[in-house]
Formats: sequence, C-alpha cells, structure tokens
Amino acid sequence: MSDIDIKRISYLAKLKLPHEKEEFYANSLKDIIKWVDNLKMIDTSETEPLHNVTEKTVSIRKDEINKSNSVDDVLSNAPERAQNFFKVPKVVE
Amino acid sequence: MSNNWEMVIGLEVHAQLNTSSKLFSSSPNQFGSEPNENVNFIDSGMPGMLPVMNFACIEMAIKTGFALNFNINEYSVFERKNYFYPDLPQGYQISQFEFPILTEGFINIDNEGNQKKIRIERAHLEQDAGKSIHDIDPKFSFIDLNRVGTPLLEIVSYPDLSSAEEAVSYMSSLRQILMYIDVCDGNMQEGSLRADVNLSVRKIGGELGTRCEIKNLNSFKFIRQAIEYEFKRQIDVIESGGKIEQNTMLFDTSTGETRAMRSKEFSHDYRYFPDPDLLPVNLTQDQIDKVKTSVGELPQAKLDKFINDYNVDKNIAKIITVEKQNAILFEKMISETDVKPKFIAAWLVGDIFAFIKENNLEVSSLNEKTKEITDLLKLVSDDIISNKAGKEILPKVLNGQGKPSDIVKELGLEQVSDSGELEKIIDEALIGEEENISKFQGGSDRVLGYFVGKCLKATKGKGNPKLINKILLERLKK
Repeated sequence: MSDIDIKRISYLAKLKLPHEKEEFYANSLKDIIKWVDNLKMIDTSETEPLHNVTEKTVSIRKDEINKSNSVDDVLSNAPERAQNFFKVPKVVE
Repeated sequence: MSNNWEMVIGLEVHAQLNTSSKLFSSSPNQFGSEPNENVNFIDSGMPGMLPVMNFACIEMAIKTGFALNFNINEYSVFERKNYFYPDLPQGYQISQFEFPILTEGFINIDNEGNQKKIRIERAHLEQDAGKSIHDIDPKFSFIDLNRVGTPLLEIVSYPDLSSAEEAVSYMSSLRQILMYIDVCDGNMQEGSLRADVNLSVRKIGGELGTRCEIKNLNSFKFIRQAIEYEFKRQIDVIESGGKIEQNTMLFDTSTGETRAMRSKEFSHDYRYFPDPDLLPVNLTQDQIDKVKTSVGELPQAKLDKFINDYNVDKNIAKIITVEKQNAILFEKMISETDVKPKFIAAWLVGDIFAFIKENNLEVSSLNEKTKEITDLLKLVSDDIISNKAGKEILPKVLNGQGKPSDIVKELGLEQVSDSGELEKIIDEALIGEEENISKFQGGSDRVLGYFVGKCLKATKGKGNPKLINKILLERLKK
C-alpha cells in the first residue's frame, strides 16, 4: 500500500488539520484503506465495471425553460450579497 | 534562437450548445442577462436538488458526432470532477470521463491549399461553471452563476497540429461546421466557443517535449498570438539550459504573453467518479439514426457542389460557404432564376456583400429580396442594362425603392441593343476614319478600342458594348 500524504488529503478536503493530529489521522486512514483492500482478494479481471445497479437509462426532459426560482430565492442563503452578486472572499488564480 | 525546432499542438475546444435551457436544469441558457437571473436551486448547488438530462444536448452531441466523423457511443457515463471554486457551487463539475459520448473523429483542414487530416480523440458533454469578477472590489470577488450548468461539448483533438496557422484553420473549420449543423452560435467574443491550447516543442522529428496548457482563448487572433509566444518561450527556456515544467498558463491579452497560473503547489486531483444522481446514458441505434437526417449539408459538401455543379470559382465559393447564411441566400437566388450561378456568385461576393457590410446588415435579411436581386441580375446578364448601370441600381433595389425594371425605365438606363440603330451610329462614326481603318486592317488591334469608345460616346454610354463590338468588327473586316 502506498504511503498517505495527509497534508495533500486535508488540502483537497478543505480541512484544517493541527500538526500534532496529522500522524493520528494518517494511521486511521491507513487502517481504513487496509480494510477496504480486502476487496482485492476477489479476481475482477473478467468483470465489467458497474456504473449503476439499475438497468435503466438516464431520465430525460424536453428542452423547455422553466424559471422556478427568483434572484432573491437564490441569493437568500448567501453569506453576503452585493447587488445581485454573491460576494465572497477574494479568489484569484 | 536556432530554427530546427517544431511545435506540437493539440486543441481542447469548448462549444456552448445553443439549447433553450441548461444541461441538467430548466433555467434559461442565455448570455447577457442580469447577474444570477438564470439560476435555480439545481444550478446553485442546493442540497437535495437533482439534475435531469436535457435530451436536446444528447441530440446535438450525436449531430456533432456525424459531422465530425466520430464513433457515436450508445453507452456513456456522467461523472463528477471534483474541485473547489466559488463559481462552481456544487463543488464538482458534471462531465464525462472514462465513457464519453463521442470517440475517434476527424476533420480535414485546409492549409494554404493543402488538405491535412486532424484526428479528434473524443468529445464529451459537461457543465460550464459560473463567472467570478475580481476587479470590482479589492478584498472580495463577485460571483454570477448565470453560466453554471450551460451545456458544453468539449472537443479534444490529437496533437496533430504543427503551426499557429493550422491551429487557427482547425478552429475555424470546427466553428464553421458547428454553426452549419446549428449546435453552437460560434460567437467567440461571448465565449460560446473557446479553446485551450496544449503545446510542446521538440527538435524536428525528435522526442515529444513536456507540454503546457494555455487556457481559455476566445479569438483566432489570441490563439495565434498565444501559440507564437509560447513556442518562443519554451525554446528560450530549453536553449538557456532550463527545463519545461508542465504548467497551466494564462494568456494576457493586453501584453500578448503567456504566464503560469499561481496555484501549482499541488497538481490537480479531480477524483472523478460516476455521478450517483445520473444513470448512465443508454442510447438505441434508432435514437442515433433519427438525428442523422437533421445534420444537413456540411460546408465541404456545399463547397464541392458550388465548384463542380455550379461552376463557381474556388475562391468565390469559399467566401460564400464560410457562413451557412451566405450559402442559403445564394442557393435561394439560384433556385429563382435562370441566370448562371457563376454570374450570381460574383455579384454576391462583390456588390451585394459590400452593401451588407456598408449598412451593417445580416446576410439573412436579404432572403426576402432575392426576387428583386435576381430580376436585376437578369437585366444585366441579358444585356438589357450595362454592368455599370446594374451596380448603380443595386442599392436602390436593396433599399426597396422599386422594381428593377421600373428603376431602369425611370433612370433611362436601358442599353441600345437595336442593331439597326447601332449600325447607323457606327457608320456615322466611321466617316472620315479611313486612316484608322487601314491601320486596323494592317493589324493594329488598338484602333478597335478607339472605335468602340467613339461609338459608345455617340450613344451617350447606353449602347450595348458587346453588340457595338460585333458590328464594328463586321464593318472593319469588309
């Protein structure tokens, strides 16, 4: 099993991890992965991947417009709004 | 900089599909609305909201599949591409990854008269993200989610392109085809069609280098500039002993330079997995075949037809087929008259397009006036009026100032094509010209032009020049 990069995982999960807890969580994750790895005992080389348990196809709709929510509905949970925009801490790539 | 370097380019083109509603929600798919006007709880990523597939998007993908010579897959799967960004409220983009709807297509591009086949690896459906505006406030970003969920078809070429010209030619062919089959409005300025350029350099014929990806180029000019700049940049780095790092670059449209995006301490890890909210797409062959009839005639087929069946010059045929509405107008005119298509084509790309440009019109606005136009062209091609008179009348006809035949009468522009009358004029013109006549008979062709001019002048410019020529020759050869 490959080693766990706990810093990277906490970054991807957007979770702040105190430095002293890093080892604890890394070990916990390792245990979980070890347990899940039991699945590798089964030979799946001849098995097609399954993307859904039903045999059905995606539900479809017609290309029609239905305006179900107003700007105010959509912005009602925004932590902050400026005119009709969501206002968020600066993010620049 | 030594010149034994070559570039290897692949393009990822994002085409917004011109549906009425979004990919997975019924919000309007519309550019230029007020901020957050076209957003519902699905688009804004509210918990518990479920996406429902807009079948028109599937149909447009199939149509593109036929037009770009793709394998159209009956089975495709929507997956979640996970990343955090405020203009992506779900926290993931719904896209297709392992099982895209289209695989292994190609188009032929024209590069200075040479045909080159560009292979296309895949095309898949996905959602667009919203827009972040960073320049209103120094501390905050403003988010407009109108674009969230807009249907995109991402078309990924193989790295078969080897110059900026080829990349631009590929992009413009793609744009032309997508507009012909009516799946994308092709408006690059509004971002309906945009490209990411993957570029690496290598010694000619050598091993592939490390590539950089230049994001979001929304004009042909920027594609060309970005490629030319990035090509030089990569060569400079290598020739000064450095190494190219695989990077995502931004193109600064004001300086014409590329620069690496800042956040690269971690490479992206999108953790794709099948979206449990959406069942796989299982198309029947019947559903696919049904779309085939709606593909219509593609630009290349039209071009071939205009050149081979209608005898139109290649360059003129190209101008006409650039946009579908040109071709529609042209074919409508052909169907309404017995004037030769070649003759119509020359007028179309000449005076008619000039009129459209001058008056800022849509080509399609002339579809209502084809009868008047072809009536006028008939007068010219039948020599009732001169070419010059035709050009003079055209704007009046297009401005709706009356029927061509009425305008001709009103302005007295009809040519004198009565041979009897012309013969009289010619005979008078030849009186006292014994010297010039013998010059002509001695082999000086230039004298003929002098006589034609003299006769035309005598008719006040209304004499039919072809007829004057003919009669003159008969007289002079006696």
